[in-house]
Amino acid sequence: MTDGHIAAAAGRLWQAWETGVPAAPVRDLIGAGDVAAAYRVQETNTRRWEAQGRRIAGRKIGLTARAVQRQLGVDQPDYGILFADCEVPSGEEVAAGRVLQPKVEAEVAFVIAAPLTRSDLTMVELLGAIAYALPAIEVVGSRIANWDIRIADTIADNASSGLHVLGQAPRPIADFDVGLCGMVMLRNGEPISTGAGAACLGSPLNATLWLARTMAAAGRPLAAGDVVLSGALGPMVAVAPGDVVEARINRLGAVSVGFAAG
Amino acid sequence: MTELERLAETIDEAARRARPVPQFSITRPLSVAEGYAVQTLAIGRRLGRGDRRAGLKMGFTSRAKQVQMGLRDLICGRLTDGMRIADNGTIALTDYIHPRAEPEIAYLVRERMAGHLSALEAMNAIAGVAPAIEIIDSRYADFRFDAGDVLADNTSAAGFVVGRWHAPATDVANLGLVLAINGRAREVGSTAAILGDPARALVAAARMAAELGEALLPGDIVLAGAATAAVELAAGDHVEARFETLGSVGVRVRA
Repeated sequence: MTDGHIAAAAGRLWQAWETGVPAAPVRDLIGAGDVAAAYRVQETNTRRWEAQGRRIAGRKIGLTARAVQRQLGVDQPDYGILFADCEVPSGEEVAAGRVLQPKVEAEVAFVIAAPLTRSDLTMVELLGAIAYALPAIEVVGSRIANWDIRIADTIADNASSGLHVLGQAPRPIADFDVGLCGMVMLRNGEPISTGAGAACLGSPLNATLWLARTMAAAGRPLAAGDVVLSGALGPMVAVAPGDVVEARINRLGAVSVGFAAG
Repeated sequence: MTELERLAETIDEAARRARPVPQFSITRPLSVAEGYAVQTLAIGRRLGRGDRRAGLKMGFTSRAKQVQMGLRDLICGRLTDGMRIADNGTIALTDYIHPRAEPEIAYLVRERMAGHLSALEAMNAIAGVAPAIEIIDSRYADFRFDAGDVLADNTSAAGFVVGRWHAPATDVANLGLVLAINGRAREVGSTAAILGDPARALVAAARMAAELGEALLPGDIVLAGAATAAVELAAGDHVEARFETLGSVGVRVRA
């Protein structure tokens, strides 16, 4: 993989972000299954955004459902960067066109209390380093036309990250059943996705442990105050202008977001 | 014997012998009313053999499933005590045609219910709520059927396992759950998949019982509908449904 290919892929995705016009996949440049190359593309654009003054607010974990991993032919999750300007307060509306080809997922978000710099982090250390949990809706999007993605395309495209919406009543992780909490997501009042904590790699905490170790090894360790969107608890659902989506996670709380009409 | 009585005999014998039959819809499509009539006649045959009524089960409790089957309502079937399986009991694969397991919520009726009730009235008329597994088994070849077929076949009801009872006021609207086979998660979901809240299925059960000219009676069990897709069973399987706050319920399958 030459630096030129990485730069070309990063440039193609950057262009789609800037223009709001979805691009062709980047797998022709970096290979459909080359995960390492894909993260180099992602990192290239992350640095470019940081240089522009965007602030990192946390990470998202994707591909946490075994079925989705099988679809993409991988046996592990992936991650993307959450930027501070991608946070939408619960109950507010997302302007039309702000996310390309939006879909929504209901997730448990964790807020990290202390830096997690060890790539051999233990679950006990992780449990002690979580300040609190929040219910979250992740609005995912794809800068690649028609969501025509392979594993390298989505990772290069910041793990198809879009916006994140967080609940506003922090709960200690001891106050709900992280591994078995029920989830229902309503679109315009109609249940459209149901699931539970276990759908996310057996538990959202398992996914978060993977992330913390992976980020430490990658040189971007989780820092105090970072938000972790730990992965979908049920099927992802497409949204259209005018929709209002609410996610309820049992004993953790509710969070909602609207999508402006036209 | 009337035509519907003959169909009732066919479907009853298919269940009794665990031998599949062709769909009635191939030769004699049944309306919803006829489907329920065959169901009532077939259950009458079971009761005539000494089985006792045990309650009702609700089906098609997701909107998507209703639309797929061309219906605008839930469906219900009858439970009899012969379908009862002890928690962590064993069933024999040979007693079924192609059984599947679904995680459900069970209600225990405390006071008679029939007709249109508010959710509050229904909740005040139950004695408890429990985690449950329903064993479904279509008596039709390839587990395929239309609405009339499945109604005549007692909505594929074949068995039920109920776990520990909890207080009637227990919140079961959005409980996470895992259906595991031999310890491995096969389905993950929430009880919210049952009409958004299983209590709505209980209200519907009281309404549909009245529509059938019956009532929910003290001691009846109401199975509120499936919280996830059904999982096919094989000999040697240990099926366990683990529910947030309610605990587990299980059943073993032998050859």
